[in-house]
Amino acid sequence: MAYFLNTLFGSIVPMCITALVTMAITLIFKTSYTTNFAQGVISAFGAYVVASSLNKLGLSIWISLPIGMFAAMLIAVAVDVLIFRNGRYVNALGKQIITMGLISLVVGVIPLIFGLSDPAFKSFVNGNITFTLSDGSVASVTKNSLVCLALAVVVIAAIFILLRFSKWGLSVRATASNEYVAGMMGINTHVVTAVSWGLAGALGALAATINASSGNIISGYFMTNYQVYAFLAGILGGFSTFYGPVIAALMIPLANNLVQYIVNVLGVPELTGWSMVIVYAVALVIIFFKPQGIFGKKIARKV
Amino acid sequence: MDKRLAKNYALLGKQTTDGDGLTACLRSFFKNSTMQIILFAIIMSVVGALSQEKILPYSWLSAFASTFSYAIAAVGFCLLMGYSGLASLGTGGFIGIGTYSVHYIMSEAGLPFGIALITAIAVAVLIGVIVGFISLRIEGIYLVILTLGLSEILRNLYMVLEDRITISTNPNLFGIEITRQMSLYVVVVVLAVIMIITGNIINSPTGRAMLAMKNSTAAAQAMGISLMKYRLMAFIICTVYASISGTMLIIVVRGAMASQGTGFYALITSLNILAAVIIGGYKSIWGAVFGSFIMYGMQTVVLNNIKFLAENPVIITFVSGILVIIVVMFYPGGLAQLVLELRGKARKLRIKMKEARYGKDLG
Amino acid sequence: MARILDNLNPVSERILKLRQSYDWTQAELEALPLHYAEKKKKALNSFLLKANKKLSNSAFKACDKEEYADSIMTEKLQKYDVKQYLQHRKANHLAAVEIFLAIKKGEDWSADLLEVRKANDDLLKEREAYVKKLEAEREAFLRKNSISDSSEYKALSAELEKKYNELSSALDEKHAAEISAKELKLNKKLDSISKNLQLLEAKQTEKHTLPDDILLSVKGLKMYFGGLKAVDDLTFDVKKGEIFGLIGPNGAGKTTVFNCITRFYDATGGEMYFENKYGEVVDLREYKVHDIILQGIGRTFQNIELVKEISVLDNLLVASTRAYRSGFIAHALGLPLLKREEKMLREKAMKILEFMGLESYAGWLAFGLPYGILKKVEIARALMADARLIIMDEPAAGLNDSETAELTETIRRIRDEFGVTILLVEHDMGLVMNVCDTVCAISFGQMLAIGTTEEIQKNKAVQEAYLGMEDDE
Repeated sequence: MAYFLNTLFGSIVPMCITALVTMAITLIFKTSYTTNFAQGVISAFGAYVVASSLNKLGLSIWISLPIGMFAAMLIAVAVDVLIFRNGRYVNALGKQIITMGLISLVVGVIPLIFGLSDPAFKSFVNGNITFTLSDGSVASVTKNSLVCLALAVVVIAAIFILLRFSKWGLSVRATASNEYVAGMMGINTHVVTAVSWGLAGALGALAATINASSGNIISGYFMTNYQVYAFLAGILGGFSTFYGPVIAALMIPLANNLVQYIVNVLGVPELTGWSMVIVYAVALVIIFFKPQGIFGKKIARKV
Repeated sequence: MDKRLAKNYALLGKQTTDGDGLTACLRSFFKNSTMQIILFAIIMSVVGALSQEKILPYSWLSAFASTFSYAIAAVGFCLLMGYSGLASLGTGGFIGIGTYSVHYIMSEAGLPFGIALITAIAVAVLIGVIVGFISLRIEGIYLVILTLGLSEILRNLYMVLEDRITISTNPNLFGIEITRQMSLYVVVVVLAVIMIITGNIINSPTGRAMLAMKNSTAAAQAMGISLMKYRLMAFIICTVYASISGTMLIIVVRGAMASQGTGFYALITSLNILAAVIIGGYKSIWGAVFGSFIMYGMQTVVLNNIKFLAENPVIITFVSGILVIIVVMFYPGGLAQLVLELRGKARKLRIKMKEARYGKDLG
Repeated sequence: MARILDNLNPVSERILKLRQSYDWTQAELEALPLHYAEKKKKALNSFLLKANKKLSNSAFKACDKEEYADSIMTEKLQKYDVKQYLQHRKANHLAAVEIFLAIKKGEDWSADLLEVRKANDDLLKEREAYVKKLEAEREAFLRKNSISDSSEYKALSAELEKKYNELSSALDEKHAAEISAKELKLNKKLDSISKNLQLLEAKQTEKHTLPDDILLSVKGLKMYFGGLKAVDDLTFDVKKGEIFGLIGPNGAGKTTVFNCITRFYDATGGEMYFENKYGEVVDLREYKVHDIILQGIGRTFQNIELVKEISVLDNLLVASTRAYRSGFIAHALGLPLLKREEKMLREKAMKILEFMGLESYAGWLAFGLPYGILKKVEIARALMADARLIIMDEPAAGLNDSETAELTETIRRIRDEFGVTILLVEHDMGLVMNVCDTVCAISFGQMLAIGTTEEIQKNKAVQEAYLGMEDDE
């Protein structure tokens, strides 16, 4: 039982990170019609800013975090304004390739600004909370992961509320359904897209900070795995809604840890390494049979 | 006797003995694309030999060898993207098929290299069929992400199987042991063969069918082109080439680590190959080879000679990123398009020069 | 087991393959004499080239030296004249510009004019000098070679002529033997193929029949998209060799009917029978969309669907992708079989392009050609597939009046020359009434009327649904 609880507690941080990154990628996909492959490196850039404000300026993490989020936001908005707005007539694949080019660009910029060494990082809070269960076994959860959970829940909830009830949310939904018509209806799609990019950058920086605060070493590519989860979550949940990808994003890391748990309970611990393979394979099979995603709606296409 | 006829024969004889036969023959020889590729292979082998003798920098040997190994995958990608209109981000994972075949078949089981190559191709065909079938149901961006997922599955599989592989025995090809220094020649020959085959496919009915499919699936089907057949074919070719590229890479580099974030099988390899094809021009096999040189070979061969860049290697990553973005935004045809445009400009210049000499045709 | 094998490789498909190889063998058989004639011509030409070289020395000795010198002089003078003309023209052009400027400024320009005249005179003098030089050369040449001796030339030319005749007859003999051997072989192959075909055809259990003069018969065609009845219970017959028009207001389901016949849509219900190019009646519902073309149904598209990156000729070859016997390996290695097939199909494509009057565009990229030309290329592409029925989706869309008139002519001509039947959907009533033999009017997926153009024009229901509506517009 304690083992099961520990598995669940261990999944908290990956779930938060994946959900945040997925939210960011979905926002960009809905407004710019492209999968942003540079999400991972822009997030990493945010984490670098947080780290240098921690180490060089000696600020507390609660002040450094907004600084980092703001920096990533600026970069993301710059990408939209400078590159995507000028590349309106680039086709879908071209847009994707531009974001791939961005990866090299940002990865090249990071060492120029922050130097080559891996920066040190701090947790939000230190220490564990331990429970003794009825059968005498002990389960523990780090306080840091609970803080991360709270942060992620608050931020994602805020974004959903914004999307549902604010004017900006309405504009995003209108732009997502048809950019051209939204523009004709008097929505400034440029602003909507730029704000979405900015928000995505900030979300990414938050995710990267959470990732770094739970002890992972920062590098240019350290968010790549989560980015891949997020893409998969996007099509698994179906990009046609906002909640679908986020739910799928919560499922992927959880499923990974649960597979490991089940494999260990069944007494074949040598299969632990296969957990990700199994999760990916199941996800791909689901996508193969439901190309629109689990929560997606099928859109009829005219021949 | 007809004297006029005799005169004509005499004049004819004068013309034919003038003799520009040799230059015409040579020109037609160099215009033949197969000959160009063979010439390229010979030149690269000579460069390799020179750098082995340290007349040219020794580092070029491995730089060119790995560049051309990646170029094999890039050529396949060129066929997939430029001619079939499909895209994939699975190249990294597919490269692993080759490296692990060599590892298990040759290094562990001690079988000849040829069998490892055949295994690599066979497994790649299988994976290609799977991806091809997926591509029938899922298209565009979704397909790209799905292949990315497949590649990640393969990478995780490699991590579970054996994270770090090293090849300590020299592969044996037709009785010749291929040392690391000699690998360049093998890679060049394989690349040349692959380029010739791909060139043939592009100019054959298969290539035309793929282009028709890229242009409009509906029209292609009405013309009797089976989407399943050609999509499968495109993905099989692409995966097989990537797998062959993996076997070549492992001969050149002799070791790989799957869990490394910037390793052979990671997303970054797929992205780099894609960037190579885009920079080179996604419809030209020469462009693909040149693009791989820019992505993988240029640093050692050109940029390390410039002191500032040698001290700051990150600038190259940075510049290649900017290059990709600029090419996509302003030069969708890549460097191949640039070459074509320059050729057109040269022709125009020649006409202008003629005009300057003799005056414009006022007609 | 046998059943599984049959399912994997159905009889109909095997028959199709056999028929294809029958067609190829037939084509090869027909191309044999031409092929050998070309071979002979090539051999004789190379002989002639060599003979020329051999002959030139003695011919020089034999010829009339004055004539020889004359022709060399004329040649040189021609070259000189061309060069001088170009120079002269440029000078005149520049001078004209100067004079024009002078007139504009109100300056005196008579000096300029004089200068031009002087320059022209200079050129003329130069030419005279050159002519004198050439004449001097000629004199010198004649002084050196004055004797003409024709005996050697006569002997050599007679010998060469004899050799030429010998070679020609030898080639004839050799080729005749080879041709007859090959013909025998090919005929045997044809026999065996047709025997196999008969065996397989006997195996085919289901056979459909159509009246003799009917090519395509559509019975009770239904196509529902969810609750929307795009086509509901439509029945019509298309006769052989007629031009059949399908008309109806927007959204009447015309294109849906097309897409059902060409199997882009899987019809909800109904039957479609077609007499394919082998004279056999088939149920179209049994075929996949990419197999329809093999039965002899070609189509053109409303908005042109040509491959823009390749030439017009290559676009035609796309339609014969299924005609190639050579497989992927032959394509990858560039085997001679592929080259032979390419050559034959290219010749066929050229013939079709010539028929359509497009031969001058054969090597052009399809990208950027005028719309009217591209429309014609699409029709040519349908012809390339040996179509028996060509389905045209709004062929006149986007064409101007004269192009439409030309299109009418083209449609008639391909019907008469190639014996194809044409089924067209069109909005341009002028074209429909002009070209069609039978017209079928539909509205909301249901048949309004079918008949000749006069009947349709007089039909009340059609007038209300379609023509009346057009009057309102």
